[in-house]
Amino acid sequence: MTLTLVIAAILAGLAGVIGVRSIVTDRKRTRWTILFMLLSFGAQLMWLGMRGEQRAGCPLLDAGEILVFLGWSLSLFYLVVGSAYRVTLLGMFSAPVVTVLLLAALLPGMLDVDPVPKENVDYWGEMHSAVSVLSYGALALGAISGVMFLVLDRLLKTRDMSSGLFKKMPPLDTLVGSVVRLTVIGVIFLTAGLGFGFMMESFSGGGSHFWVAALVWCAYALMLGVWFVRGMTPKKMSVFVVALFVVSLSVFAVL
Amino acid sequence: MNLFCLGLNHETAPVEVREKYSIPMERLGERSRELATLDGVSEAVVISTCNRMEVYVAVMEDDVAGAELRVKESLGFDVSDRVHFYESKSTEAMKHLCRVVSGLDSMVLGETEIFGQVKKAYQYALEATATGGVLNKVFQKSFGVGKRVRTETMIQSGQTSVGSVALDLAEKIFSDLKDSTVMVIGAGEMSRITLQSMVLRGVKKVYVTNRSYDKAEALASEVGGEAVKFDEWSKVLGCVDVVISSTGATEPVVRVADIEAVRRLRKYRPLFMIDIAVPRDIEHAVGEIEEVYLYDLDTLQEQVDEGHARRQAEVSECEKIIDVEVEKITNQQRNDV
Repeated sequence: MTLTLVIAAILAGLAGVIGVRSIVTDRKRTRWTILFMLLSFGAQLMWLGMRGEQRAGCPLLDAGEILVFLGWSLSLFYLVVGSAYRVTLLGMFSAPVVTVLLLAALLPGMLDVDPVPKENVDYWGEMHSAVSVLSYGALALGAISGVMFLVLDRLLKTRDMSSGLFKKMPPLDTLVGSVVRLTVIGVIFLTAGLGFGFMMESFSGGGSHFWVAALVWCAYALMLGVWFVRGMTPKKMSVFVVALFVVSLSVFAVL
Repeated sequence: MNLFCLGLNHETAPVEVREKYSIPMERLGERSRELATLDGVSEAVVISTCNRMEVYVAVMEDDVAGAELRVKESLGFDVSDRVHFYESKSTEAMKHLCRVVSGLDSMVLGETEIFGQVKKAYQYALEATATGGVLNKVFQKSFGVGKRVRTETMIQSGQTSVGSVALDLAEKIFSDLKDSTVMVIGAGEMSRITLQSMVLRGVKKVYVTNRSYDKAEALASEVGGEAVKFDEWSKVLGCVDVVISSTGATEPVVRVADIEAVRRLRKYRPLFMIDIAVPRDIEHAVGEIEEVYLYDLDTLQEQVDEGHARRQAEVSECEKIIDVEVEKITNQQRNDV
């Protein structure tokens, strides 16, 4: 089983290397990145399936499982968004993040060596965990698009137009669209995840996990509200999306 | 059968000489046919663009000199223009055609338009039954070589005009110019050239403003846009995505305060500003506003120079491909014989 995860990490790593190589060597757009990401996604899915059977439920009980689920969710959104909106360069930025998540999950102590199956499965709880982590996949990809925007913005502002990275970057408004779209999707999933959380048998309210999650949701909602109603510079939006995602990860720390 | 090429181009002849020998596109087929019917000539293709006029003929081996003379006569060749013409034969003529098709002989190195122009000229000659076994093979092979040169080298990389650099940048900011609105401040030649390349990409709306309203109206009607009085341009700034400025003003025309006044209205959308005026029209500090991407003539010209240098560096690689391919064709012809 560990081998499947190692293979998934290697494939994601290869996707990243190929992406970077195509930029450095200034070659035409490569489809290998998306192919390797697809294969890595398949391996992650296989691992999650096997782990789910061992857990007799959604495999989101230890830190390693959360990391793999997050990596899987990120890959899923990349494959959907990257190919649909021709933001293939997103792969070059997402693949290293997926690799790091998978490698972090492989670190000793992250995954329970002997996973204990769940005794009572609370379906609302399962939905809460799965949908919430899925929302983090979308938000993570939104943050990656935000980083890409910041990179392109910097290149345009410094008039550095000869680099391979500049040529390969999608247009600025495509990136802004991608940041906003993914953040909206992420917030919709997050809202659903929170809703499922309220239905959980074990929900008592007032816990630190609940408050952090509620604060994260409010911050994202406020940011989107400002964007759609008042307007905001795309640079500020990107900075907020990246910063908010990093801060929002604290929700996992208070599980 | 011998291949013979006679021609002149932008490097060998001034425009008045080029005009003299220029042949309208609709007459290319007819002229090719006329040449092909001359004594000692079996096939002909005439190419005529604004920068060159060339004829490629297949002449009988036993009367090469006579056939060449008759081709010159037919073209109305004036002895005083001899210095402006170049000639090449057999392998050299083939190599020359490959260089032309690949854009290596063009005024803008690596430009692609010539490929289509040669193809069209050949097509006219073919339809006029002026070509045969020799020129059909030569031209079709040269198109293959041209394609190989363009796909295997970076001869087309980089931009070679201020207008195309500006266009590239605009498309790096706004994926589709069809959704963009452009405002031109100053209806001079530079503005017109830059604007026209954007209009060709189908920009949604164009506003033109100029101190002399008549000139603004003239340019606006030329590109299907709307003229705006010079003291009212800031009113439309709120709805534009691209600003091209090229006035003769000695003081900045667009100031930070003008942009600040419309930022909220524009919902902080990106604004691409091209300042091609000398002295500059747009205050330098405008470029420091977060959503504004300001480029002046020097920055655009740097890109043009870089594009030229990059293409120049590819020439030897292109020549190698042409040499190899022409050698292959020559060997094949020898084997066929």
